[in-house]
Amino acid sequence: MPAKSKPRLSRGVLDMKFMQRTKVKVEKEADDEQSRALYSHEINQKMLNSTSNFVLESSYSICAGLIDGRLSFRGMNPELELLMEQELAEKQGNTRPEQPKEVSDQDMVKAFYANKAPTVTGSMSKKFNTKKDFKRKQVGEDSGNPHAKKRQHFKKPRSDDD
Amino acid sequence: MSATSTVVMPGDRITAIEELAKSKRVILGPGLRRLDDTVVASKAGPLRHKEPGTFWVDNYQRRYIPARGDLVLGIVRSKAGDLYRVDIGAADTASISYLAFEAATKKNRPDLNPGDLIYARVLNASADIESELVCVNSVGKRGKLGVLAEGFFFKCSLNLGRMLLRENCPVLTALTRELPYEIAVGVNGRIWLNAHSLKETVALANAISALEQTGCAEIDKICGNLGDFLQT
Repeated sequence: MPAKSKPRLSRGVLDMKFMQRTKVKVEKEADDEQSRALYSHEINQKMLNSTSNFVLESSYSICAGLIDGRLSFRGMNPELELLMEQELAEKQGNTRPEQPKEVSDQDMVKAFYANKAPTVTGSMSKKFNTKKDFKRKQVGEDSGNPHAKKRQHFKKPRSDDD
Repeated sequence: MSATSTVVMPGDRITAIEELAKSKRVILGPGLRRLDDTVVASKAGPLRHKEPGTFWVDNYQRRYIPARGDLVLGIVRSKAGDLYRVDIGAADTASISYLAFEAATKKNRPDLNPGDLIYARVLNASADIESELVCVNSVGKRGKLGVLAEGFFFKCSLNLGRMLLRENCPVLTALTRELPYEIAVGVNGRIWLNAHSLKETVALANAISALEQTGCAEIDKICGNLGDFLQT
């Protein structure tokens, strides 16, 4: 027996329920080892180390770069023509360089907020507010106007009022 | 694709590819075989080359040899349990599972009958086992695949099918100028056509069949008078 034999898990342990995944792994390892041993005398160094520059491809469509053969022209099958158009657009999108922008992103943002965003941003930001923010906002508003925040109490009517 | 016209015969050694393979990766297509470091042709025909480093033999052939990823036209032959047997013009029939259609489930089977024509992709192709087809893409959508209803179907050589499917092939554009139509070309040398009337469909089929013997070089010349074929 070789000195460096790996410690193995016993069958009793592997049969336990929580060891099922390990069991599969161990079995696979044993299998691989067995097959390696079986073919080891047939595999030579050349087969293991050689790097080939040849790739075999049995399909004409891949070799010659053929297109999909399902086509429709001049509105015969609108559904299909839509698909063809999408494919073409995708292809061109991949090849064509990005078009230069006439308006920069920053200008766009500025113009957008200036023109119509106040209402939109207001209502949207409200959606993302937390209760805390809401309270803080109220407090902030009140600090500018201290009289508004006075808690309302029942005021005893003066006796001379009625 | 360059129009190299070196014709190779089975058994010819092709030294040009061997030289190229010393410096970079080379893709050997159908009709070429490698024996250690030598490349030998196994089919007779013009040797084609596409940059960078793809080679294949464009031989004349009518029998289709299934290859993974090809788009083919097939005729449903019979139903065998969970599978349909489909004739794709290869040595053996191909099979397609009833689940390989869009929105098909065990309860909701596709309505396929013997004699139906389908446009499908070859999923599995091996010399030893029956090739397998699918009518959906990897995300389960139909795309362009599926059953072809109505129309007219005919067979041609594999070369004609491949010629029509080249990028920027002038034939289909030339026919478009004459008529609106719908076409499905399989790389297995089968063509399905549909136009507004039967007369138009048959005229288109005649026009395409007339191209059977032309090479890639002459095709531009002929496309000019394809309209004449439509008249007859």
